[in-house]
Amino acid sequence: MAGTLRLYLTCIRNTLEAAMCLQNFPCQEVERHNKPEVELKTSSELILNPILICRNEAEKCLIETSINSLRISLKVRQADELENILTKKFLRFLSMRAEAFQVLRRKPVPGYDISFLITNYHCEDMQKSKLIDFIVQFMEDIDKEISELKMSVNTRGRLVAAEFLKQFI
Amino acid sequence: MAGVDDFVEADNAEAIISRIEHKSRKIESLLKQGRPVESLKTALEGSPPNTRDERCKSANWIVVHRAIMAIKDFDALFSSLDPEYYDILMKYLYRGLSTGDRPTCDQCLRIHERLTERAGLGCILRTLADTVNTV
Repeated sequence: MAGTLRLYLTCIRNTLEAAMCLQNFPCQEVERHNKPEVELKTSSELILNPILICRNEAEKCLIETSINSLRISLKVRQADELENILTKKFLRFLSMRAEAFQVLRRKPVPGYDISFLITNYHCEDMQKSKLIDFIVQFMEDIDKEISELKMSVNTRGRLVAAEFLKQFI
Repeated sequence: MAGVDDFVEADNAEAIISRIEHKSRKIESLLKQGRPVESLKTALEGSPPNTRDERCKSANWIVVHRAIMAIKDFDALFSSLDPEYYDILMKYLYRGLSTGDRPTCDQCLRIHERLTERAGLGCILRTLADTVNTV
């Protein structure tokens, strides 16, 4: 299990290192505008092939690159209904505070749980290797976070039920 | 002009598909003899470069998939595979990774790690950038 996770993260890291080749490119259609081309997809010569990396049926990662921006969308493993709800709420919490993360996208791409949008400006301000480290670290930590949340929900539920049922003893 | 291209495509498609079937028989026999590396080489060799016909691509993908899943020894694979096949193999690996089928993805991830060590990031970049010869 840990073996495939390591391979999956290595594959994503290598692909991101290759795909993060961004430069400034003003909009071709509208003058004095500068838009992330991967979001608009207006000109086909500016976008590269999208790459889908699946670890198994439940987890996958979509990497779309263009000349000045890169979009990474993740689908996190959700084993049961409870994890489904926890993941949705937790990732929505993060996405609402996307300003603080800078590279996070406010709404995930349809079909995925969370999305990142990295533009050439981010690459100018921050180091490319650190950005990639951040994304890979995020993917590692998200699984741990969700299982921790699930455990705390179950523990709290058990305690509350025990307290409540005491009055009937 | 586009009409002529389509006509040529249709002819070529049949020829390509029959070539692929012929190739798959050869690969089955190579696998029975226990030579997975040669079978992968054969599968990658005749990859149709410029067809836009989905059937040819799917047919070739099935053949390459069979060869990829049969590989157990990765060091032997890279010591005997020519560098000119690295790019095509990388494209097929990404196609395998997009299927989402667990054993395929496991195998493709293993080969991907080794191939990146051998071929470098340029190989991945050529997969991303090549919109003409897609797999």
